[in-house]
Parts: sequence; C-alpha cells; structure tokens
Amino acid sequence: MELRLKKILLPLYVGIFCIFLYLPIIILTIYSFNRGGFPAQWTGASFCWYYELFHSVEIWRAFQNSITVAICSAFLSVLLGLMLVYGAKKLKTKISYFFYSNILVPDIAIAVGMLSLFSYFMIPLGVITLIIGHTLLGLGFTIPILKSRLDELDHRLVEASLDLGASSWYTFRYIVIPFLYPALLVSTLLVMIVSFDDFVISFFCAGSSAQTLSLYVFTMIRSGISPTVNALSTIMLLISSFFVLAISLLQARLAVHDEKIS
Amino acid sequence: MFEEIKKLIKAETYFFLVTPAFIWQFAFLVLPLIFVVILSLSQGQGSHLVQSFTLNNFYEIFHFSQLRIILRSIMLASTTAIASLLIAYPVAYFLALHIKRFKFFFLFLLSIPFLINLLVQVYAWFFILEKNGVINHALMFLGLVQKPINFLNSYFAIYLVMFHVYLPFMIMPIYSSLEKIDTKLIEASYDLGASFRTTFWRIILPLSMPGVQAGFFLVYVVSFGEYVIPSLLGGMKLFFVGTLISEYFFIGKDWHLGAAFICVSCGMLFLSALAYYWLFNKITMQSKIMR
Repeated sequence: MELRLKKILLPLYVGIFCIFLYLPIIILTIYSFNRGGFPAQWTGASFCWYYELFHSVEIWRAFQNSITVAICSAFLSVLLGLMLVYGAKKLKTKISYFFYSNILVPDIAIAVGMLSLFSYFMIPLGVITLIIGHTLLGLGFTIPILKSRLDELDHRLVEASLDLGASSWYTFRYIVIPFLYPALLVSTLLVMIVSFDDFVISFFCAGSSAQTLSLYVFTMIRSGISPTVNALSTIMLLISSFFVLAISLLQARLAVHDEKIS
Repeated sequence: MFEEIKKLIKAETYFFLVTPAFIWQFAFLVLPLIFVVILSLSQGQGSHLVQSFTLNNFYEIFHFSQLRIILRSIMLASTTAIASLLIAYPVAYFLALHIKRFKFFFLFLLSIPFLINLLVQVYAWFFILEKNGVINHALMFLGLVQKPINFLNSYFAIYLVMFHVYLPFMIMPIYSSLEKIDTKLIEASYDLGASFRTTFWRIILPLSMPGVQAGFFLVYVVSFGEYVIPSLLGGMKLFFVGTLISEYFFIGKDWHLGAAFICVSCGMLFLSALAYYWLFNKITMQSKIMR
C-alpha cells in the first residue's frame, strides 16, 4: 500500500498539479497565434497580432516605462541594500530585520499611504514615484538575500586581508564584493522581475501620465479580451521565464561553488 | 584637530552606510502608514486635509456592511491559504524527498508560475472562463450546453483564480524546509519500526512546520488585501477589502473613511493571523504526541 502510494499515486498527483498550473498559460499562448479575432475559434495560425503589437505606440511607451522603472529600482534597492547589510554587520545592529516587514505589510496599505502622502506634499505622480515605491518593495527582497549570504562569509578572510595591510575599501572591493557577487546578481534580477510584475503599487502611484505594461494589461482586460493582449502576455511570459531561468541557473552554480569550497 | 575629524568620519563610515536605506524605509513605508492613521483620525477637505481630529470615521466604519466585507476577505484568505496548503504539501514533499534526478528542472518548472506577472495569469483565466471563451466553446461543441454559461463575476471564478495564483507561493517555503530535513532521521524512524504515518506525524511534519507557517502566513496576508483578482473577475458587485479601499480612494474620494477602513481591516487581519498562529502551535504540540 505504502509502496503504491509512493510509486504511482504521488507522481500522478504531481503531474495533475503541474497540468493545472500550466494549462491556462499554454492555452493563452496557443491562441495568441490564432488568425481570427473571435477568441475561442481556431481559424489558422498567423503572427498578425504580434505584428499589430509591435506597431502600437502605446505599448512601446508602456514597455519603456516598465523597463526604466525595473532597472532603476533594481539598481537603487541593491545598492541601498548592500550598504545597509554591510554597515549593519560592522555595527553589529539587528536593523536588517526591520526590512523583513516590507513583504508582511499588505501592499495595498503601503500603496494607499504613499498615494495620500505624495498628494499631501504635492509631489507629482509619475515614473519617479513608481521608482520610489518599487525600490521600497525591492528592499524587502534584497536585504534578506544579501544578509544571509554575508553571514556565510568567513570572518577570518576579512581579518586576514586587514592584517596583511589592505585598506578597508580594498578589502570590501576584493574580498566582500566577489563573495557576494552571485547574491547581488540574483537579487538584482529578482527585484527587476518583482518591479516588472507589480500591479498594486503601480496602480496607486503611477498617476495618469506613466503607464506600465501591467497597468496596460489591466485596462485592456477591463475592456474585454483581444488577441493583441494574448500576444503581449506571451511576450511578457517569455521575459519572466528568461529571468527565472537566469536566477535558477545562478543559484545552482552558487550551490556547486559552495560545495567545492567546503 | 584635523586628524580627529578624519578619525570621526572613518569611525562613523558604517553609520553613514546604514542611514540611506533606513531613511528610505522610514520616509516611504513608516511615514505613509503613520499618515494613514492620522487621516483615519481626522477630517478636512482639499488642501486642508487634516483640519481637526475626530473619531467619527471609525463610527461610520463599524457598520454591518463594512464589517461583512472584512469577514468576506478573511473567509477568502483562509480558504485560499488552507486549501493551497493541503494541495501544495504533497507536491513539495514529493519534490524534496522523492525526486533525485532532474530536481533542477522541476524547481525551474515550479518557480515560473511563482514569478509570472499576476495580470497575465488573470488574463489567461479570463480568456478561458469568458462567455465566448474556451470552456464555453468546448461545452457547446460537445453539445453539453445550449447557451454559454457565465462563469465570470462569481465567487467561483475568484476562488479558483486566487487558488491557482497562490499555490506556488505555498510550495517554495514548504519545499525549502522539507529539503533541510536530515534523511537519516526518517530512515532511523523506519528502522526502529515506525510506520509511515507515525514517521510523518512525529518527524516530517514537526520539522517542516516553519516552512508551512511561512507559506501559510504569506498567502494569508497577500490574499487578504488582494485587489486585482476580485476587481477583474468579480465584476463591480462582489466587494472585498482591496476593492473597497480603492473605491474609497478613487471613486468615493473619501480618504478619511478609506484610511479608517484600512486601519480596521489591518487590525482584523492581525487578530485573525494571531489566532491562526495559536492554532499552528496547538497542531505542532498535538502532532508530536500523535501515533
């Protein structure tokens, strides 16, 4: 009985689970190549919706905004996170745990608070406020990752470098940064993808001028389904999967690297 | 003198490293939340948003219709979290303890839905469930129904999609805590004559409890304030906490009431999470004496 449970039922269950997880996305992707405009009727394959997608000025602008916000907030949150984690380690404070709360506060509360604060101080909503919000979100991801990696650093390495006469900047640059490098890359990619996917903060903090891809898809869904959105979703899927692949490859390499050291 | 200043700067370098992120956190997380509390306790209009302090907003929020919406969100969050926990646990168990080859591939497969854009996932379901969507088309083609069924704008659609979107959030923490378990412990338990059931209740479950709790509370908190899924799949009729907040801020333009509503619902969220925390501790204690 137990053997059967393990050998047959459990893999079967996991298989059904994976199908459930992936079926909607697969259907969506297939229908993005549908020629007809009517959603659920297959009338032959074509790339016409992709063609239309690439010629839409609005989508290109939304894409540009999304990319700008993702890159800026990833850079800022990794930089701020690195500084904080390193400084906190040297000061021996537990301030890093304060940043773990960013994921625990419901993001709609953060978004509404920011919106009311920005409008109270007459700060115009736009790309800048989006970057501010996404950097805040990103700090909640970068700081735990960087902190757990930095805690693994053998303190004797740093001491040896300092004993041998290296300045603290030199030690930081040639000992700490190379050690943190994979974690830095992973957290940069993660913040980029979180920023790219975020909806609630963007919805409240973007105002009417700046539109991101998520916001664009939202307004399109509101006005009903169209094959162009299928095509756009497929491209967004590809971008996300690329990021996920990069992250998991990096993490796998990191694990192999650590095994070699120990 | 000059040397001393230089020394001071050098000694305080790490302090200056810490401050930017701290200021960021304070200015854009703590301050907005404090501002929400101030808004909820005050009244005023336009440029004089905070004119005088009052408790009237809270009197208005403590009304049956608002409290019902909060309870509805608690229901939604509880159902999503418990159901996805029960469904995700075996998957995480299988991945962590039974798969030896292709582990990387399976992890990759499961982390894609974790990081896919939420809007894309919702759109995919929208596309399937719509009146002339895939399911209705298939049903009509097979001759099972004459008229298309309206799946959208219902609790069914909201629960289904919530559940689908938050499943991966549950797998990852459980997987990572299951993977840390020393397999020698499980083998020892079998060697000493324990059945699978005893081993599960007394070894595997207690050791994976941190991951279970992390996943549960992550899903619980995130789905409590969910905005996108109820507003797109529930039409404008079924209100949840997230949708009602945006209604107060964007359409009703009554920020004070909205802020009071946020405070009350966050309080309820905290209390219900505490109740679940207590329950989890009870379960852990029970499972340790279970056979």
